[in-house]
Amino acid sequence: MPSQQELDLQISPLVQESLAHNSRTLHNLQSLTASLFGISAGILGLESYSGFLFYLVFSLLTTALFYLLRIAPTALSSPASPTSKAGVLGRYFRSPLDFWTAGVTNGLAGFILTWTLFYGLVRA
Amino acid sequence: MAQVPVQTIHRDPQLFYWILFPITIVMILTGILRHYATVLMSSAPKPLDLRSTREQRSLLHGISLRSNFHALSRRSFHTRRDVVITAYESGAYLKDPDRKGQPPANPMTDPSSMDGMMGMMKNQMAMIIPNTLIMSWINAFFSGYVIMKLPFPLTIKFKSMLQAGVGTKDMDPRWMSSISWYFLCMFGLQSVFNFLLGNDNAASQMAQQMGQMGPQAPQMFGPGVDPNKQFLAEAENLAVIEHHSVLDGVEQRLLEGIRI
Repeated sequence: MPSQQELDLQISPLVQESLAHNSRTLHNLQSLTASLFGISAGILGLESYSGFLFYLVFSLLTTALFYLLRIAPTALSSPASPTSKAGVLGRYFRSPLDFWTAGVTNGLAGFILTWTLFYGLVRA
Repeated sequence: MAQVPVQTIHRDPQLFYWILFPITIVMILTGILRHYATVLMSSAPKPLDLRSTREQRSLLHGISLRSNFHALSRRSFHTRRDVVITAYESGAYLKDPDRKGQPPANPMTDPSSMDGMMGMMKNQMAMIIPNTLIMSWINAFFSGYVIMKLPFPLTIKFKSMLQAGVGTKDMDPRWMSSISWYFLCMFGLQSVFNFLLGNDNAASQMAQQMGQMGPQAPQMFGPGVDPNKQFLAEAENLAVIEHHSVLDGVEQRLLEGIRI
């Protein structure tokens, strides 16, 4: 007999293309905002830890806003089926951990680039 | 211990206009050029003849039967499986059944497989040539300048990498030369390309290299793959499936779902 998890997936299947599209949309948003955060951190003249902390806080804030504005409303209007255990995030993204942490690593390179550029231009 | 005084270096502001901006603009423009070169050079896949199309489609048929068997009823699944396995084992779908059991043709001599290799070669060249050109351009014109200060401290190990061509021993490793700005651009411009060219662009070589590092999916219909062996393996995969349907026990689930 198939395992319970396998059966769940077969009863309510997830389309891989849509999952990939969702995470690509999120990735786009995060890499764009990371560059903007880099610009603001450079203009503010943040250095070392405070700059990285700034990035961490704001990228998590972006993800949280994305969750609140885009995911939570659809979840409220159509509650999850009683059999699925993955929760709301599991319907749109691969895993909750992936959703919350991928943004920080996605945009880091872009953040450092624009941070360095604007720090150099403003403070020099 | 006394506080180490912060090093300040007075630089000509012209450095920004004549080094920093040219490198950045050239990096962005090469990325865009690389993207469009890849788009232009990618050749459309050649239409296959009838028999090889049949070979590939029938193998895909077996694979989708294996992955979606739960949507079929037991009887329907067994009928399909019997048909497919018999055909696979007799080699009815093979492109040329006479060559069954012989080793596959050498991919170097097969003209149809040369196309794929040429495509790969072109992509490799499109990555390597601009990189070497820009590297040597920066080395020739801009080596030895200190242009910027990183906003975060680094250990002394980075000094040789960031300050290549700058022969000052006591300088803080935070000061970076033009070649390190090039590296920073190479890593960080992906988001700019995402913004400019859309998501599935070919502009950044970093993303492509990452893709090559990762585990590659086994080639399905590439050169040098024996289709007969693929058919036999797929027949074996189908034979071991223990059938169950999504509709098994659906009444129970329905009754559980109804709340009064």
